[in-house]
Amino acid sequence: MAYNVLIVDDSATMRALVRKVLKISGLDLGECFEGANGLEALEILKENWIDLVLSDLHMPEMDGAALVKALRQNNLWQTIPVVLITTEGRQEVLAPFLENGVQAYIRKPFRPEDIKEKLQSILGEAWVPHAGELEGCDF
Amino acid sequence: MLENLKAATFEVLETMFFIFPEGLEEAANLFHGPGLRAWVPLVGPKNFRIGLTLPVSLAREMAANFLGLEKDEVPPDRMEDVVKETANMVAGSFLTKEQVPEAYNLKPPEALRLDLDAQDWQENSHHLLLAVEDAGLEVFLEKTK
Repeated sequence: MAYNVLIVDDSATMRALVRKVLKISGLDLGECFEGANGLEALEILKENWIDLVLSDLHMPEMDGAALVKALRQNNLWQTIPVVLITTEGRQEVLAPFLENGVQAYIRKPFRPEDIKEKLQSILGEAWVPHAGELEGCDF
Repeated sequence: MLENLKAATFEVLETMFFIFPEGLEEAANLFHGPGLRAWVPLVGPKNFRIGLTLPVSLAREMAANFLGLEKDEVPPDRMEDVVKETANMVAGSFLTKEQVPEAYNLKPPEALRLDLDAQDWQENSHHLLLAVEDAGLEVFLEKTK
């Protein structure tokens, strides 16, 4: 199964980096969509089938917390796995998200391997590893 | 507090950019030419900002490393975005290391361009001066209104 992924981050550079890491990670990647905040993410969700959301937490307009809440309140979207990719590392801030439907978080700064390991643990059999997939990448 | 800010800076630069800063006494003499400053407001019971200042040449190198591009391929807007994201990551890492209370929140990063030769560079209790090869890197934690 090819996974359609939605990357939500207000930094275009960070979205490009995450997209690049996903491509070399071994995930069976379908289409990759990008939104700069929660509002843009919701518009993309209305128009496209999304299998996985990778979202920043601190964003203007509509932040990651509001996006997660909107996803969990919508019958169509409530089962989509959500992984936070965030600078936030304080457990007291992150714990409520993990208790309310966020599958995992990846703290920035991260290594490409961090994203791979986290997605592997969430997606399980969807993973299609390729030999040396992270070897020799110029990341 | 400054030790945690320094540790956060090293963690971000080493992990995301493969850049290894040093704390050198002569770092104050390494700020020349056009520069970029980016910071993240930290809002709570008191307000602060956490940020960094660096020459454009170093920002370009960081962006190239970050995006896997040659230095001359980096668009100027991406350079600014990378510096803002770096400030964001340093601030987040600092909050974690310092165990800053939940009442404090990070706001979206801001940035400006400046002439580094027109500034006075001094290390003090809230400004760290580092060196990345022949370029200066300032990291700061300041109170704001």
